[in-house]
Amino acid sequence: MAMAFEDKLDELRRREERAREMGGPEKLANRAAAGQLNARERIDHLLDKGSFRESGLLATSVPPEDRATTPADGKVSGFGRIDDRRVAVVSNDLTVKGASSAATNAKKIAYLKDKATRAGMPIVFLGESSGARIPDVMDAESMAQGGSDPQQYCRRRETPWASAVLGPCFGSSTWYACLSDFVVMRKGAVLAVSSARVTSLAIGETVDPEELDGWRLHSDVTGMADAVAETDEEALDMVRCFLSYLPSHAGEAPPRLPAPEHGPDGEALLDLVPDARGRVYDMRKVIAQIVDGDSFFPLKPRFGKAAITGLARLGGESVGIVATNPMILGGALDPAACRKVTSFLALCDSFHVPIVILVDTPGFLVGVEGERRAAPAQIMNMMHALQLCSVPKISVILRKSYGQAFLNLGGGRNSDEIAAWPSADVSFMDPQIGVSVVLGLRREDDPEKFDAACEQFSRGTSAYDMAGVFGVQSVIDPRDTRSYLCAALDTHRAAANNGLGRRDMAAWPTYF
Amino acid sequence: MAEIAVESEIAGTVWKLERSPGDNVEEEDSLMILESMKMEIPVLDPDAGKLVAIHVAEGDTVREGQVLATLELE
Repeated sequence: MAMAFEDKLDELRRREERAREMGGPEKLANRAAAGQLNARERIDHLLDKGSFRESGLLATSVPPEDRATTPADGKVSGFGRIDDRRVAVVSNDLTVKGASSAATNAKKIAYLKDKATRAGMPIVFLGESSGARIPDVMDAESMAQGGSDPQQYCRRRETPWASAVLGPCFGSSTWYACLSDFVVMRKGAVLAVSSARVTSLAIGETVDPEELDGWRLHSDVTGMADAVAETDEEALDMVRCFLSYLPSHAGEAPPRLPAPEHGPDGEALLDLVPDARGRVYDMRKVIAQIVDGDSFFPLKPRFGKAAITGLARLGGESVGIVATNPMILGGALDPAACRKVTSFLALCDSFHVPIVILVDTPGFLVGVEGERRAAPAQIMNMMHALQLCSVPKISVILRKSYGQAFLNLGGGRNSDEIAAWPSADVSFMDPQIGVSVVLGLRREDDPEKFDAACEQFSRGTSAYDMAGVFGVQSVIDPRDTRSYLCAALDTHRAAANNGLGRRDMAAWPTYF
Repeated sequence: MAEIAVESEIAGTVWKLERSPGDNVEEEDSLMILESMKMEIPVLDPDAGKLVAIHVAEGDTVREGQVLATLELE
């Protein structure tokens, strides 16, 4: 080899090695001691072994004095595979200038988004960033350059996006988490507009970091986190799992796995659901008795808990489960539950995932707090979403389905097909409440008259009354729910367009 | 140890207390049962810990957001 070229190759290797050292051994050792993976280890854990193709390894910050100390400009990016399917990934490297956003790494992210979208692959954001790089952005010129892409924050859901919030997330990492279809947050990580320190300085009062941005806030109160993980590894595994239910891009149907040989036998369903209207039960146990094995992957399980939303498989096919949970608020949907369902419908509609709705609800939660949180608007948002959804929708009424909630959960023509269990009870409201409203009667005043009126108000609400007027297409043995759903999904798959829907919800916000 | 307030998510009547102060509780244990909307609705413990206090008695009317119990996190 010519001597001159050997020198050049040495230089290439030297530069590559330096870039892979990230923020240096000391910072990396501190992370390891704290039990956190570094940006490159995270990519290795996320992707299929050896599949990472880096893009922009030798990129650096623009100011000459920073070039030697900004490997990959603090954001490691490239392409790889998950379960042998292509994905693009950005992993923020907090050890390099706090993974702050600056001119070069903004170009890297823009490039990755553009290429991943064109090629049709999901994008994974591994979040941990301190915000815009100061002082680089402290003038009008850099501010003007920052807004040069008028579509930077506009999701059309051409491909799925998933975010793992794995450390302090401010600025860029926060924005991309909010724009993602799935957000998993590691305990101890934070997600906020800006750090507690910056916020405290800006508003002139001390802010408690945990209150500002902790996992509990985002899983329980804001609903911005779809899942919570104990460790980096668990969070990354959840990203892999989430993507397994979805197509790589919106132009194809979700991947279909072979149907398992045995599903749950469903016998337990007869014991899980009490007949008495006033008794509650845990709908999650019902779901486990219907879907394939342990395929149920809940989304936002700690937010708006009267509704359950999650991805699952039925006979190997990806489905989105929407259910009410009588264990929480008796299954009455509050504004948070409505928002959760609406956002889940947008996900399913965008990526051709058919929807299964399991219904047992006394209606919408009424009360002053709900009205203050715009309950009517959230109920109509959910209704609007359901009617925009063009994927197959199959609804099963287990027990109660009352009032407007009957329509919001697929009643009427809001599902392609509805089945009722023999225990179904469909009406405008609970008969006891109806009696009090219409006749002004209270049970304690005249039990005999009250009970007689209740009996009258309970007539004509059974599964057979619904079946008689074709309000449901079938009344089914609860133990057959799984086989019924598999067959109904097969019937309603849109063959004309290879199972693809219209995706009318593709440009709906990822959070509302 | 951090203490958190367990609030009622719904207006109703306390029908039955199922736990007592001093009890160690797991996430999703039923602390008490409220009667609301003609249903028996459990108040589920939000996190594992020790029940420090219960602020209501059977038969009490509670409003949404009212603090029902105090929990010391593990």
